[in-house]
Amino acid sequence: MTRIPLSLIINGQTHEVLAEPHRTLLDVLRTDLGLVGTKENCLEAECGVCTVLVEGAAVNACILLAAQCQGRAIVTIEGLAAPGQLHPLQQAFIDHGAVQCGYCIPGMLLAAKAYLDESPEPNENGVREALAGNLCRCTGYQRIIEAVLSAARVLRASPTPASPETAS
Amino acid sequence: MTQATRIVGHSVPRMDAPGKVTGTALYAADFALPGMLYGKVLRSREPHARLVRVDTSRAARLPGVRAVITATDVPDVRYGGSVKDERVFARERIRFAGQPLAAVAATSLDAATAALAAIEVVATPLAPVLDVAAALSPAAPLVHEAWASYTALPILHRAGNVCNRARIVVGDVERGFVEADRIFENRFTTSSVHQGYTEPRAAVAQWDSSGLVTVWSNTQLPFEIQTTLAEILQMPPSKVRIIVPGIGGGFGGKLRIGMEHFAALLAMKTGRPVKVMTSSEEELTAAYARQPAIVEVKTGVTNDGRLTAREARLWFDTGAFAGSGPGVASVATLMLAGPYRIPNLLLEGFAVYTNKTNFGSFRAPSGPQANFAVESQMDIIADALGVDPLELRLKNIVREGEEGPTGQVLTAVGLEECLRRAADAIGWQDRRPEAGRGKGIACGWWTTTGGSSGVYIKVNPDGTIALNTGAAEIGTAALTGAAQVLAEDLGVQLTDINVVSADTLSTPFDFGAQGSRTAFAVGNACRAAVADLKRQILALASKHLGVEEHALTLREGSVAGEGKRATLAELARISQASGGGLIAHGTFVAPPTAYDAKRVEGHVYPAFHSPSFHAHAVDLSVDAQTGEVTIHRYVVAQDVGFAVNPSAIEGQIEGGVAQGLGQALSEEIVYDNGRVLNANLTDYKMPTALDVPRVESILVQHPSLVGPFGAKGVGEPPNIEPPAAIANAVASAAGVRITSLPITPEKVALALRARAT
Repeated sequence: MTRIPLSLIINGQTHEVLAEPHRTLLDVLRTDLGLVGTKENCLEAECGVCTVLVEGAAVNACILLAAQCQGRAIVTIEGLAAPGQLHPLQQAFIDHGAVQCGYCIPGMLLAAKAYLDESPEPNENGVREALAGNLCRCTGYQRIIEAVLSAARVLRASPTPASPETAS
Repeated sequence: MTQATRIVGHSVPRMDAPGKVTGTALYAADFALPGMLYGKVLRSREPHARLVRVDTSRAARLPGVRAVITATDVPDVRYGGSVKDERVFARERIRFAGQPLAAVAATSLDAATAALAAIEVVATPLAPVLDVAAALSPAAPLVHEAWASYTALPILHRAGNVCNRARIVVGDVERGFVEADRIFENRFTTSSVHQGYTEPRAAVAQWDSSGLVTVWSNTQLPFEIQTTLAEILQMPPSKVRIIVPGIGGGFGGKLRIGMEHFAALLAMKTGRPVKVMTSSEEELTAAYARQPAIVEVKTGVTNDGRLTAREARLWFDTGAFAGSGPGVASVATLMLAGPYRIPNLLLEGFAVYTNKTNFGSFRAPSGPQANFAVESQMDIIADALGVDPLELRLKNIVREGEEGPTGQVLTAVGLEECLRRAADAIGWQDRRPEAGRGKGIACGWWTTTGGSSGVYIKVNPDGTIALNTGAAEIGTAALTGAAQVLAEDLGVQLTDINVVSADTLSTPFDFGAQGSRTAFAVGNACRAAVADLKRQILALASKHLGVEEHALTLREGSVAGEGKRATLAELARISQASGGGLIAHGTFVAPPTAYDAKRVEGHVYPAFHSPSFHAHAVDLSVDAQTGEVTIHRYVVAQDVGFAVNPSAIEGQIEGGVAQGLGQALSEEIVYDNGRVLNANLTDYKMPTALDVPRVESILVQHPSLVGPFGAKGVGEPPNIEPPAAIANAVASAAGVRITSLPITPEKVALALRARAT
């Protein structure tokens, strides 16, 4: 099948790739670019482990064609904070024991990031709704929700993004 | 604990959390090698058929396809844990919809998928054996006609479609029923539920020029997979190396061989690394989901609420192969007794072949099914006698020093405290606070699986410690717990420890991440290793400092005495220059739990090691119109022995309850004529963040005699009681008793309507 040239802006850097038009953003991220922090599971937008930000919105990369992302700013877990640093959400997930197996966590963090960008003063129900598309089988969500609420407080106190790539 | 501890007993963050929140932690599903091909498995659409032909010629010619293999390409080996009844690919006979028939390797997943569609399968359908009732009927066809010729554990009781009947007999159950004033007989059913790990099962295999195959996979049991794969490939185990890069959840679903053999066989055929990963459809049709069960319980009780006898039978649908079934049926009998003093018992667990996937082990295998039945019946009895369900339980529970059902002597029994604290926390005295609202309670017990563990610990030249263990970290933070034990005993910080794990070539043996045993067993192996390492350190320090060993103490990373001092870093460097480095080997095997062998038959799990005890209490409302359940509060009181890491344990409780609520309320793999109707995550309904209530954990601590610092296994228990607690609360709230799982709004609404008419 013919491959088309794509210019993907991922975590602030432009990546030129050649990909068949039917290939998903998830596949290109993981297979072509080695960005395996974005996870793969159901491939039907039911589990949320592949959640990334496209122009600041949380989307399931498994049902988004890479070709649809031409020229659009994408943030993956690798770009949530600068290397060696942690975004307040990441720090809160560690501190609150919100991580067990961890496979859902990159998607969970990006879904939470998109939500907090829109709703800097969240309540518990809001967080639950925002994360309802991200399945976690280990934690029962409790500590994840606590971590997001805690990170929101930290972000309100110091709203500077942890990394320029995450500014949307 | 009489002495203050520095590291164990504290809620420290898990060691692998930074890697997991930054996306740098590598999982088996992420693993890739240069030149890697993609493998896919062709699976039967028929649940039961005579296999006539698998024609791969057209598929093999498609672009990008590098290999297509079928049964004729692999050694004709039957393998399996307790019964060797399974083969890599079906031969002659297809036994479930989803059974592997062929596998392909291609340069892309698309090419592999296209090749699957080009394989021609000719099969003559046969009438499938759809469930346990059909399998047990006298006219039922045998799922395995040659069952009697299979190699199996000699202690199993097998007959036709029953691949094990495990039994416990205590006293005289008929006499016990004569002594009873009332006899209660109830029947319960449960559905199959999937572990729901978010990372699919995955394996990447590569052969080297010496004939050694390395498989990177997300198995919970690398050493079992090593021997099973060696058996399948007809090679010595030393030629099979299993490495676990990381696991995205297992819950028992990644115990038995998954994609490893397909990857290894395809890699052998192509000479290239091959990766095989499951789809959601494969997970829900052809994995190791929890066994559906039928449970019949007959219990005798005196008018004042004393249990005199119980006769109970639990039939598991084990699917087309025995797999975990014979063992899980054994464990079920201990769960049917419950944590109660019942002098006369006849308890049987059956694993029954049907034409379905080989159901397997899921977090506390057999626990939720048996507990749902016996704990529902405890409430039925209490209601009939007009006794408070809590009081009925308190009157009959086992206590310190009493016997378990097979005669084991129970110690560290924290059950009464669990029941009282859970009841107090939920506000038990006000059981029906308003119309349509009610509270339920359920209790249980569970094992801390034994088995052996070995570790090496090594002092790095900077004085930090490398912990080398054969156990895999499946997400429970068990290896953080073991490292806490190590740090505590050695007098170093947790941040001083790095973990290397789960590589069958380089790490010591471990019985695996199963049965709530990892922190318990690896923690104890660490204690043994530290004892040895301390001897080495003190001997070396004595020589180096010229101070007698008895005058030296090791504390905070240094050895000191008589005004002299050497750091661990210095000693490590001295040893590296002159003695091969400081390294110690520690091992642990759980001491056998004594039991009365005359009480059991066909039993592969006759006693619970270092058992844990627990009680769950829930406060919920039932919508009188829709039957929908709304949970207000959920409380767990769990006797964890000693809380090595309280926050991590609470995380286990919260997650275990969430999974248990899925089984209680919404999850079911639905079969129709042997085929799964809901093999996708839209229709298989796992709880989301909107569905799981806040869970309140109470950690009860009656120290075990064996576990590190008194710890007991904690991972599985929280998954056991939710279905029973919910069923009892629904009965309390709405006055209807639901005896089949899941307790869907439809079932509740129908029961409410039936009662109204």
